[in-house]
Amino acid sequence: MTVLTAVLLGLAMGIVFGFLLEKSRVFEPGVILGQFQLRNFLMLRVFLSGVAMGLVVLSALTGFGLAQLAPKATLPLADALGGLLLGAGIALAGACPGTVMAQIGAGYRDAWFTLLGGLLGALAFTYAEPSLAPWIAAAGQGKLTLDAVLGVPFWPLGLAVAALLFLVLLGMERWRPWRAELGEAADGLPPETPSAPPAAPPATRPMPAE
Amino acid sequence: MVDLANKAWSPYLAGGLIGLLQIPAFLLLGTALGTSSSYVSVAASLAAFADPGLRGLRYAAAHIEGAKAWWQVALVAGIAVGALISATLSGMRRHGIAPVWHRAARLGAAGRFGMAFAGGFVMLLGARIADGCTSGHGLSGLAQLAIGSMIAVAAMFAGGIATAMLFRPVR
Repeated sequence: MTVLTAVLLGLAMGIVFGFLLEKSRVFEPGVILGQFQLRNFLMLRVFLSGVAMGLVVLSALTGFGLAQLAPKATLPLADALGGLLLGAGIALAGACPGTVMAQIGAGYRDAWFTLLGGLLGALAFTYAEPSLAPWIAAAGQGKLTLDAVLGVPFWPLGLAVAALLFLVLLGMERWRPWRAELGEAADGLPPETPSAPPAAPPATRPMPAE
Repeated sequence: MVDLANKAWSPYLAGGLIGLLQIPAFLLLGTALGTSSSYVSVAASLAAFADPGLRGLRYAAAHIEGAKAWWQVALVAGIAVGALISATLSGMRRHGIAPVWHRAARLGAAGRFGMAFAGGFVMLLGARIADGCTSGHGLSGLAQLAIGSMIAVAAMFAGGIATAMLFRPVR
C-alpha cells in the first residue's frame, strides 16, 4: 500500500473513530477522571464493548484464515511500569493518546497542552530508548497470548471471552443504567451539591408597623 | 438512538462500532488499532529538522518511515475531525476548560494548562515504555488475548486510580 492510500484510509477510519469517541462521551475529561475516581463507569462500558467486538471480529477473521493476529511482545517489567506511568498521565491529562484529539476536535482548549506534552514525552523516550532498551527487554517473553498459554485455538477462546464480557456489561447495565452516568451536560458530572447544607430560611418576622 | 444529531449514543453501541474498526485495520494494513506510536512519528519528524542526527536512532527511523506509521498519524488526526463533526451535528461543541477541573482540583486556566502538559508528557512516556496505550494495549491487545497487554491494562488502571485518588472527590 502506498503512503498516500494508507493516509487516506487512516483519515477515514480516524473520522469514524473520533465521531464514536465523541458520541459515546468517553472523550470527556469528567468521564475519564471519573472512571479512575470509580464514580463513573462510562469509560469501562465503551472500552469493554470495544474489546468484546474486537474479540468477535478477530475470532472470525482468524478462524476463516482471513487475517493473522499481531499481538505485542510480552515485556512484563516495561508493561507494568509503563502502564503505571500511562495511567497516571491519563488521570492528570483527563485524556488518553487517542481521546485527546477528540477533545481538541470538540473544542477543549487545554487538550492542546496535553498534545504538546505528549509529543515531547514521545520525543524524550525516543532519545532515551537506546539506554532504556536492555531494561525494557528484561524478562521478555515474546508474543505470549492466552490461547497459546492454554494450548487452545484462538477463535473459540476469543468468542468465550467475548461472551463473558457481554455478561459483565449486562450486569453493569442492571447495576446502573448508562444514562444515569451521563450528567446534565453529557460530561459525566453529577449535579453540583453545595458544600454546606443550605442555611435555614430566615424566620418570618412580623413587619414593623409603619 | 443512532440519530447523528443526538448528544450521546449508548456506550455499548459506540464501543462495539469502535471494535469493528479492527476489520479494515487487520484486512487492509495487517495491523491493529493504535494511536501512541504516531506521537513518535510526528515528534521525531519535526525534531529531525533541528537535529538531523535523530534519524540515525533506530527507534526514530522505524517510526518515521513506512505506510503504517503515517496511516496511524492520519488516524489520530482524523479523530479530531470526527469529533468536530459529531459535536457540531449535536450542538455539543466545547469551549475553554471542562468544569471537572475546577471541581476536582480547583484549577484555573493556567494551572490546568500546566497539568495537561505534564499529564501528556507522562502519558506518552509511559505508553512508549509499555509499547502501547489504551488503544494498542487496551482495545487491540486485549482483543488478541495478549498477556503483555493484560499486564499493561491492569497497571494502567492501577496508576490511574492511584493518581485520581489525589484529586478532590466529585460529588
